[in-house]
Amino acid sequence: MSLATFVQSILNGLAAGWIYILVALGLTLVFGIMNIVQFAHGEIYMLGAYCSYFLIKFYGFSFWIALPLSAFLVGLVGIILERFFFRPFRGRFEPSIIVAVGLMLLLQTIAVVGFGTDTKSMGGIVPGVLKVSGVTLSWDRLIAILVGIILVAALFLLIKKTKTGQAMVAISQDIYAASLQGIDVNRISAFAMVVGCALAAIAGSLMGSIFSTSPFMGTSAITKGIAVIILGGLGSITGAVVGGLILGLIDGLVPLLLSSTMAGIVGFGVIIIVLILRPRGLFGHE
Amino acid sequence: MLEIKGLTKHFGGLAAITEFDMSIDRGEVVGLIGPNGAGKTTMFNLITGFIPPTRGHILFEQVDITGKGTHAIAAKGIVRTFQQNAFLPDMTVLQNVLTSCYLHPKSGVWEAIFNTPGYRKKEQNALHHAMEIIEFLGLDSVSDELAQSLPHGYQRLIGIAIALSASPRLLLLDEPLAGMNANEVNETLVFINKIRSVGTTVLLVEHNMRAVMKICDRIVVINFGRKIAEGFPQEVKRNKDVIEAYLGVGENAA
Amino acid sequence: MNKATQFVKPVSYPVLILVLFLIPLFTKDAYLLHILIMTEINIILASSLRAIATTGQMSLAHAGFMAIGAYTSALLVMKLGLSFWVALPLGGIASAVIALLVGYPFVRVKRVYFAMLTLFLGAVIRLIIMEWRNLTRGSSGLLNIPPPNSLNFFGLYNIVFDSKVPYYYLILVLMLITLLFLYRIDSSRVGRTLLAIQQDDSVAESIGINVTNFKVIAWCVGCFFAGIVGAFYAHFIKTLTPDSFGVLQAIYVIVYMVVGGRRRFYGAILGAFILTLLPEFFRILKEYQPFVFVGILLIITFFLPGGLADLPKLGASLVRRLKGPSVTHA
Repeated sequence: MSLATFVQSILNGLAAGWIYILVALGLTLVFGIMNIVQFAHGEIYMLGAYCSYFLIKFYGFSFWIALPLSAFLVGLVGIILERFFFRPFRGRFEPSIIVAVGLMLLLQTIAVVGFGTDTKSMGGIVPGVLKVSGVTLSWDRLIAILVGIILVAALFLLIKKTKTGQAMVAISQDIYAASLQGIDVNRISAFAMVVGCALAAIAGSLMGSIFSTSPFMGTSAITKGIAVIILGGLGSITGAVVGGLILGLIDGLVPLLLSSTMAGIVGFGVIIIVLILRPRGLFGHE
Repeated sequence: MLEIKGLTKHFGGLAAITEFDMSIDRGEVVGLIGPNGAGKTTMFNLITGFIPPTRGHILFEQVDITGKGTHAIAAKGIVRTFQQNAFLPDMTVLQNVLTSCYLHPKSGVWEAIFNTPGYRKKEQNALHHAMEIIEFLGLDSVSDELAQSLPHGYQRLIGIAIALSASPRLLLLDEPLAGMNANEVNETLVFINKIRSVGTTVLLVEHNMRAVMKICDRIVVINFGRKIAEGFPQEVKRNKDVIEAYLGVGENAA
Repeated sequence: MNKATQFVKPVSYPVLILVLFLIPLFTKDAYLLHILIMTEINIILASSLRAIATTGQMSLAHAGFMAIGAYTSALLVMKLGLSFWVALPLGGIASAVIALLVGYPFVRVKRVYFAMLTLFLGAVIRLIIMEWRNLTRGSSGLLNIPPPNSLNFFGLYNIVFDSKVPYYYLILVLMLITLLFLYRIDSSRVGRTLLAIQQDDSVAESIGINVTNFKVIAWCVGCFFAGIVGAFYAHFIKTLTPDSFGVLQAIYVIVYMVVGGRRRFYGAILGAFILTLLPEFFRILKEYQPFVFVGILLIITFFLPGGLADLPKLGASLVRRLKGPSVTHA
């Protein structure tokens, strides 16, 4: 196994990892604020990918315009979802799961019926590769990593430095105390949902651009997102990043040493072990 | 009956309980009092195994139960009540108490599935047992009412009934009088006496000082996770450290 | 009204069962029998999922455990030449064993995590099936799975599985056994204990109930029956692909259970029955079937959270309110 292959695998793993992190961040954000696991999050990711696809293919936008535009449009969908599907059941475990799971079915069927079952390609982000000391690094993957890092940093700043961010922290710790302090829980929840959906849409657009877009891509996204969160801990941004990197690297490297199936199994094994030792995940609180 | 030696509990860097020693004799009614946040609920959680101690030992009838699981400790005879209420809000009182007649009599899963005569007899016994407890606590007039439709005082009694159905030898009551009016308090005290009279030992956490003075044989006072006083009610009432602990906030004590 | 129900109830179940046994005598329509078989498969799935849900755990892996039973049975017959009648229970056992292996870590976490973990588990199961090509032929699937071995009674009566009828009777028997077993658990003190755990597992723990053990048992039992029905399915449909056992199928089972109603035992049966038959009446909508399902699901979740099984109770309280205050009540 040459160094080149090794480095490329790491790159692939990291790119995938950062995409998973974006998905997981949306999930963990929504969970922290609204206390629900948005199982349909993968379908939001898929919608983001299709949105970019249509913006690029039918309206001729460049990827860099389509990306934020699709994030915006999908964010709007998020507002509708939060208002009409999740808010009525806030705090109630079972109805929230039922609704989320129902939405998963609904959105996936809409995609199958509306877009057809074939995979679509929207052309890469930036063609070509970067050659560094004999190793070929594809630009697409580097950009995915960069976008991921920027967004995580932005999210971090949002939470630490803005009033809205602080409000979100307050709600995630104690929703009653937060509302007593005058925080508009509904507005912040909607905001959290929008941010979460936007992140998912961006992740989907990246994945759809680097690889491909299909109505079923959401399923693997939610699976990976959940894996990252369980590993890293629900409600923790650091956990999402660390968990995503670990799983991304496993997905990148294990296929080299063993096989790609084993990557999934090793990932599952790691999660089970962490769960036994730390039922809350690596960085989870509560 | 219950011996606690050097019990210590740390949550991260915070010392919730420090070097706590206490013992309870059979048949006593002991009160555990202290200001809010002193560590009373933590003590309950430690004794019943909800949380493991950092250091120290708990012995129940000479058997070391330190660190054992809650259900195992309950099986040995220590049962607690909770500050919240009955756990099957939309079932009747009878169904509530019947549901919790789990430990006694015990029966196997396969017996239940095949509805053996042995199982049916145990069900009869459980029903009998549940009715006994309901009568004991004066709940027979409401035994067919939905638990959630009853007033607060009744709901607390249901909580006690559920604990009693596990036939405890040591009963831990977590603020049983909270939110009760004077009549309800007196009635509940009568029940606690009744519980004592059938041989059950009681450890009581309460804020209602007058009630505690009336019903308890002995009182243990806790503050900031440490025992600051222990003894007969009259002694404790006059204890300087106790008065200070309660007055220290600047308000009048009980 | 009490007198009537007291009389009707004990009689109605044997009559219903008798009717179910007699149906193939009146119709040999293969299509109708196929629908009934699928309905009964779904009833077993929904009821076994409900068994897991009685402790408050929501499993999204049920289709995955059906897959384990299906592939195990099919492979045991095809590769090792075992008789179907041995492979069927082994399929169920395989599911139960896998459930047990992940059971203890799974049930100890919060309910939210449990649901997420089961989604992940279902995905891993599907992944293993797809990648273990030597064994399962991956996404191409297992084809030409043999039917159950013929049964021979006393050298006289021979049952050959060459039409829908023997399959119908087999699944009927499996369903009745499953429902009887689950019903007995549910209405016994074990069921009461499970209900207590669902309502408040701290209180349950404090009166001596080993909550972890019960949760694991409920989980394994539910997965066992999913495996059994999976094994039947494999030899009935005779083709297995990993795509039939994904999270979408698991969601369907959840929909059956929720629409029918989780609290009463017959709720899951009702939901599976109605939602399996409904698409047959609206066959034009086959492609849009998921929309109808989600629509029904949302209507139920918003307006009738207890499911259809709650309708009698709702009706009774409505009647009571219309009648005005009464002197006695049940």
